[in-house]
Amino acid sequence: MDDDVELLEMLKTYMEREGFEVTFTSDAEAGVTAALSDAFKLVVLDVMMPRMNGLEALTRIRLQSRIPVLMLTGKGDDADRIAGLELGADDYVPKPCSPRELVARVRAILRRTEPAEEIDAESATIESGSLKLFRRQRRAEWAGKQLDLTSTEFNLLDALARNAGRPVSKNELSEYALGRPLARFDRSIDVHVSSIRRKLGTLPDGRSWIQTVVRHGYQLIEE
Amino acid sequence: MGRLFWKFFFFFMLAQVTTAVGVSAAIWLRNRSAHTPDNPVPVLVHARLLDATAALSERSGEPALRELLLDWSRKPGPTVYAVDADGREILGRSVPNGAGENARAPFEHASPHSSRRVVLADGRAYVLSVDGWSSGASFGQGGPGGRGGPGPLLFPLAPIVGGMLASLAVAALLAWYVAKPIRSLRHAFHAAGQGNLDVRIGDGMGRRRDELADLGRDFDRTAAQLKLLMDGQRRLLHDVSHELRSPLTRLQAAVGLARQQPSNVEASMDRIERESMRMDKLLDELLALSRAEAGLGVGREENIDLVELVHDVVRDARFEADARSSSVAFATDVGELETVTIMGNHEMLHRALENVVRNAVRHTPSGTRVHVAGTHDAARREIQFTVTDEGPGVAATELGSIFEPFYRGGQAKGTLGHGLGLAIARRVVEAHGGSIRASNRATGGLAVEIRLPV
Repeated sequence: MDDDVELLEMLKTYMEREGFEVTFTSDAEAGVTAALSDAFKLVVLDVMMPRMNGLEALTRIRLQSRIPVLMLTGKGDDADRIAGLELGADDYVPKPCSPRELVARVRAILRRTEPAEEIDAESATIESGSLKLFRRQRRAEWAGKQLDLTSTEFNLLDALARNAGRPVSKNELSEYALGRPLARFDRSIDVHVSSIRRKLGTLPDGRSWIQTVVRHGYQLIEE
Repeated sequence: MGRLFWKFFFFFMLAQVTTAVGVSAAIWLRNRSAHTPDNPVPVLVHARLLDATAALSERSGEPALRELLLDWSRKPGPTVYAVDADGREILGRSVPNGAGENARAPFEHASPHSSRRVVLADGRAYVLSVDGWSSGASFGQGGPGGRGGPGPLLFPLAPIVGGMLASLAVAALLAWYVAKPIRSLRHAFHAAGQGNLDVRIGDGMGRRRDELADLGRDFDRTAAQLKLLMDGQRRLLHDVSHELRSPLTRLQAAVGLARQQPSNVEASMDRIERESMRMDKLLDELLALSRAEAGLGVGREENIDLVELVHDVVRDARFEADARSSSVAFATDVGELETVTIMGNHEMLHRALENVVRNAVRHTPSGTRVHVAGTHDAARREIQFTVTDEGPGVAATELGSIFEPFYRGGQAKGTLGHGLGLAIARRVVEAHGGSIRASNRATGGLAVEIRLPV
């Protein structure tokens, strides 16, 4: 979804050559409907279209769907980027970007959202305290209740749960959940972790289940 | 205590010391002249006084003399003493040195000025003498026996210390009164220097009404104006970076396509060329906008025939209109032989009017007509051009913002241009002292009205 039709045409040509099936629209309404139609695996959304509010479209998609969303943000528009990640976008690409970069980012997200075939029976379910991860179904439960996680959030929680009780560095988290090394000044992981924290609730003493390990990363508390 | 305080203090001290020295010098000089024996005025007065006393006592006897001297000794004025042959004063007062000498010596040869020898009716002899300017018995320090000649000038320690303390207090008060607003001004300037233009002095001045309070208000106004300007610039910069981003992204996509499909390089090249031309045009318009904002450039003013200029603009716009099978009409009430001129920048004014007319051509549906009307109002010394189209018009709430940089109408999708044209037009018209406004026509379409003083 973008308001620059010429760009969309070029990107469609490029991505079709790379083996993707692409549909584009420059109308937010049609875009949201299409994103919710189950016909697509991933949405690329320009959040700073002057004439339609990309963030609003994202909110409406997230209300009903966990479909992976890759945001196109303006370079230097940190506020938009953080807002988008908080609203549940999986990752972002700053504009202007080369189509190669965009395709790489799309592939990285798709790779990590498709249930991995090689998960064997004993690692298919992970339990840590109240947390239960069903890795084949990419589903998580907290104290018996279904958690509503985006796929990036699921990946992050997966990485933390497999290492429960041990700190995991932000770079590892980024590699695992976003499929890319952490860029400098990149706050994506922190934003994702803070939305997971909101969904998990707090320990009886008010601390979060996910502890910050200063200058390193995060750690899931083991009961 | 700041430096200002000490400066006030020292100036106060200086003023006080100068005043003190001046006043004491004047008093000292005056006193000295009053005491000088050869100063003719007091000496003559004294002589007359002695004459009168002598005459009275010779005639009326000792009781009268005693009564007179007693009376005088209670009042301020010269003191007259009467000393008999045994050296006793008639009222039992002690006779001061100067007067005493005068009083005793003249038993042999009384000086005609400062003493008299009288012999009363009962045969007793007195020497009358007079002494300076006594403040009278009841007048404190002087007393009978006042000062013979200038007294010693003591160093006046108490008054000086008192004066210093007083001036310290007043200096502190004044320094506080002046320094407080200056300090808050300083803080405000400091904050502004750090880039915080939200700082205001306003209430810090209280209900003061003076130059310092005016200065504070001026500061507030300046800061507000600067903030407005800076915010405008920041927004413009943000918009520019956004506007450059789109062609750059398309450029990158075109390069990516060329890499991906080497067989189709030619199409990508065309695209790259088009995008770079768009960026070039954007830069060109940005420069025009910044030039219009900076006041058009000095020394490029010339006399411009406005009607001729609009004719040129309309002729150029007709090419574009033809391509869209619409047309442009120009009508004016300015006669053939009449010229309406304005002093200004020809290139910029041409650009401004061209932007408005072309904008109308772009928005009028094909087959319709754009009207340009020129009306000369000689009485008000202005000319008005109205450019009307038959397009969709602009939402009433957005009529004001179409002259903002990078504004593009809600309906206008993928239009050419960057939304700078009308912004440039407004800046240029305003720089020429004119005004520009837009309104929706009752019959549909937009009317842009430009007024220029001639």
